[in-house]
Amino acid sequence: MTGIILEARDLRYRYPRGDEVVRGISFHIRRGEKIAIVGPNGAGKSTLLMMFNGILRPSSGTMLYDNQPIIYDTKSLRSLRKSVGFVLQNPDQQIVAPTVYQDVGFGPANLGASEEEVKRAVQEALRAVGLEGFEHRPTHQLSGGEKKKVAIAGVLAMEPEVLVFDEPTSSLDPAASAEIMELLDELNDQGTTIIVSTHDIELANLWADRAILMVGGWILQEDVPSVAFGDPDLVRAARLTTPVLLELHHELGRRGIPVPAERPRSVLEMLDAIDRAFQQDPHRAHPGTITVYDADAPCDGGLARWRALRPEVAIGAMGTRAKQRAAEEGVPLHFTYGVVDKCILKALLGEDALILTTGGMIRRVFERVEEYARQSGVEIPVVLIGGE
Amino acid sequence: MFEEILEDIAQRNSLREVNTSLKLAVGLGGLVLCLVSTGYVAPLFIALALIAALVLLARIDAYTVAELFVAPAIFAATGVIVIVLTSGGVDPFWVWQPLSWLSLSVTPESIDRGFLVFCRTLGGMASLIFIALTTPMTDLFGVMRQCRLPAVLVELVMIIYQTIFLLLDHLVLIYRAQLMRLGYSSPGEWIRSFSTLAGAGFIGAWNAGEDLIRAREMRCYDGKLVILGEVRPVAARPLLTATGFLALSAALVVLTRSITVFPTVP
Repeated sequence: MTGIILEARDLRYRYPRGDEVVRGISFHIRRGEKIAIVGPNGAGKSTLLMMFNGILRPSSGTMLYDNQPIIYDTKSLRSLRKSVGFVLQNPDQQIVAPTVYQDVGFGPANLGASEEEVKRAVQEALRAVGLEGFEHRPTHQLSGGEKKKVAIAGVLAMEPEVLVFDEPTSSLDPAASAEIMELLDELNDQGTTIIVSTHDIELANLWADRAILMVGGWILQEDVPSVAFGDPDLVRAARLTTPVLLELHHELGRRGIPVPAERPRSVLEMLDAIDRAFQQDPHRAHPGTITVYDADAPCDGGLARWRALRPEVAIGAMGTRAKQRAAEEGVPLHFTYGVVDKCILKALLGEDALILTTGGMIRRVFERVEEYARQSGVEIPVVLIGGE
Repeated sequence: MFEEILEDIAQRNSLREVNTSLKLAVGLGGLVLCLVSTGYVAPLFIALALIAALVLLARIDAYTVAELFVAPAIFAATGVIVIVLTSGGVDPFWVWQPLSWLSLSVTPESIDRGFLVFCRTLGGMASLIFIALTTPMTDLFGVMRQCRLPAVLVELVMIIYQTIFLLLDHLVLIYRAQLMRLGYSSPGEWIRSFSTLAGAGFIGAWNAGEDLIRAREMRCYDGKLVILGEVRPVAARPLLTATGFLALSAALVVLTRSITVFPTVP
């Protein structure tokens, strides 16, 4: 994580003949970060996001991209919008063409890509969001989740460095929300900086590296989620509710139960704190094994055979390609979001688990398990099959 | 309101993956042959063949096809009755002169002319319905480009097509909300509700336009559109079927050109 990619210096914005909705905001975002801008309706989140790629020009203050102030002429804005992709809350407001292919190819074509390059960009973007084969589909016939993915693919096809999402999970069912959030993780893993605006504090607490708490056009707090959301008074002032895990941690502490000072961000961390507090660790001596299966390995039915030999093993898939692979081999999935933590939880119960994933995410699994071992002192065996 | 539209049926039909140009050739070819035919056999054959193709090959529900034919068939039948009664001829079966300047009659010639017009209309309708139900509009954008239609025209068609569905969704939501609050329950309420719906439609269209402009700006719009050309190859079986249908229809046009309902009619 190096270098500042976006920076706001005393930004203010007032709508014509309206109130000032952004009232002097300063912050910076580093390359590769996952940022959640959290606040109630009317906090100025969407207005702030629209200043990131020059859709709105601040009334005063400066917005910088790559340490350079944004210039609001046509040429500079085109360059900025190629680098900072924006996915609106309502995909119907973002989809500009009647078929999936036409919509996803819209950006690359307007950036001067040749027909072949457009075709390749569309294929890659659709593969990234798991919508291969949807090229001819009319956009009006897609479900809400599919429309959202098409909107994301349309932006991905322009190969942005920063992706900005306004309420990425609003009006989606829980499964579609989990898929979108996992896709954001996957894109971040590939190096894209991701900024999400949301009033879903639970989602922000679990997902973000850093949270910016906004209310009434101001920044109320800016820190890692467990700190940003850890002060009940601040959270109440922002018309939000404290994340359940933080509230549980707080209440356990108030009851004199010795929980660690560091606030938990996941069920795994909470459970670990409870286990330590009550000195319950019956399975820590013999944890189960986490097997990581490279979904890019040749599709020769090996996964299905592995599964047939161990039908009791819980399986999770991380990433679009992994889910496609599981579908191709008819392997049912138990987890599709928060996969590593859920598999660690299984292992702590002495049960084995399989994680199906690809590329850089394989490394992430190992890193997360090692990080957990450092924190908890529990070594969970991790085995890689199907890859190098 | 409009729960299902022709475009949705076309997107799901079983001939969806057949080459678009081939389907257009069948539909437009059938239409032209109906227009040039001087006998009723060829248009009747074209109508029946295309209806059979819709039901058996495109797997479109027969009731839907029949429903689509009802309104134009009633319109055509009304016209045919007027033709039969007013076109005259020799050896009338029935004559009635209600006014000095108006004479109504039914003759072998008028029946023959009326039946020919009816069969041509039926064949023409079947051809157009065949295109409408088997070729979704989204497939026609590529054909439009291949035909070198001006880019601005194709872009306009694409925007209209996309906006229709956004507006339709918007209007359906408002219409349902009106029904839930007892809109359209009396003639006065009907007028009030409908005018509100029209107003909401206008505002919806305006907003959709603004959204589109903003979305295009965000995606670096520079006047370029992407249209995926035809990617479905012309497969042997559909090609043979289409060629066979058009050849047989053309042969019938020539061979049955003098066949009439009444053999005595020249």
